[in-house]
Amino acid sequence: MAQILRKFALTLTVIAVSYSLANAAEESNKVDVLGKLQNHSYLDFKPFGKVELPLIFKDHDGWRFYPSTTAAINSGDGYTDEHYLLHPDQPKKIENGIVKPIAYHLVREDGGHIEYNFSISSHLTFFLLSGFVLAFIAFPLKSKYVAGIGRTTEPKGTFQNMFEALILFVRDELARPNIGEKKYLKFTPYLLTAFFMILFMNLFGLMPFGVSSTADVTITAALAVTTFLITQLSASKDHWKHIFWFPGVPVPIKLILLPVELVGLVTKPFALAIRLFANMASGKVLVYSIIGLIFVFAGLFGDAVAYGTSPIIIGFALFIFVIKVVVSFLQAYIFTMLSALFIGMAVAEHDHDHEHEHH
Amino acid sequence: MDMAYLAAGLGAGITAIGAGIGIGMIGKSAMEGTARQPEASNDIRTSMLISAAFIEGVALFGEVVCFLLAVK
Repeated sequence: MAQILRKFALTLTVIAVSYSLANAAEESNKVDVLGKLQNHSYLDFKPFGKVELPLIFKDHDGWRFYPSTTAAINSGDGYTDEHYLLHPDQPKKIENGIVKPIAYHLVREDGGHIEYNFSISSHLTFFLLSGFVLAFIAFPLKSKYVAGIGRTTEPKGTFQNMFEALILFVRDELARPNIGEKKYLKFTPYLLTAFFMILFMNLFGLMPFGVSSTADVTITAALAVTTFLITQLSASKDHWKHIFWFPGVPVPIKLILLPVELVGLVTKPFALAIRLFANMASGKVLVYSIIGLIFVFAGLFGDAVAYGTSPIIIGFALFIFVIKVVVSFLQAYIFTMLSALFIGMAVAEHDHDHEHEHH
Repeated sequence: MDMAYLAAGLGAGITAIGAGIGIGMIGKSAMEGTARQPEASNDIRTSMLISAAFIEGVALFGEVVCFLLAVK
């Protein structure tokens, strides 16, 4: 009985969502798909409105702080919205005598861009939010383990059991086999932090009104640079020897291998950053593209075809969302595992004489 | 401008072909390996995911280039 009810509710939801989307197609509202990937100075709570975020930036004449983009435009300090600069002939959007921004992109009135922008943007908000969530989870867990629950006794409660499974997975499946018995405990804290940070950032993007901050290349690049620094700073002597003077091969080969190894040093973190960024960004674009098919059909074959195909298309979009949940976990896993692999490769100490005896 | 869209679409499709062949071959070998030696399935899964991640990384480089073409 419950199963039939569940199926009925699911069907109703699909029909309701597709009906509202087909109605939206008639209104021909333009949706900026690539704009959804960008970093904004507001949080979008469509259809309830927008919450503007504070602006912090350094311009050529010093630091400036504004509580919102609207305040910056109306402050009279020579800043304006990019939309008003590009379209000076169009009327300004004014509410209660205050000029409201349209593009939410602050530029100088003389056309110049802001020099260094440190604003709390939408991606940074969700980055900080996942950091706080991580702290709220990690510190109670830590106090439990310090008290001995989970080390000397069994873990207690749903909360600790739920996270102990993931923590042990990162420690025993990722850190220990890839880094090695001797040194894995030193790097497990970083790997755990990276894993949970990426996981929370990915999952926040799936929540209503959420933005996945990992769909921003700057945040993934920061994570990859952290992995790179940890890898290089803890690298063993053998790691540097393998890069600059590869042992066990003739001198001409050593000279060929030197640039190859140097390039390989940089491509590893670069690939880490791009992989995470492109996976999260492409998932978002995919959902919009599939939902956009309804509008394409409406334009090509008329409204009836759009109404008819929309349940199927919504089903596909739902399927992509399920895939996105899997990808959120998988990308956190892959980033952590590759970080562990690179760290393990760098800290490994080769006993060359020993190896030669065996081979 | 229209040619850039065409290039982005074609590029994305061709990258998907390459990545599909690569990941398909990894999956085939991993399944064969697991069938022959089920006790090694954990190790095989790990190395399968690592190699799939590397291939996917190359494919995603292509996709990013196509993105840049499309928003040019």
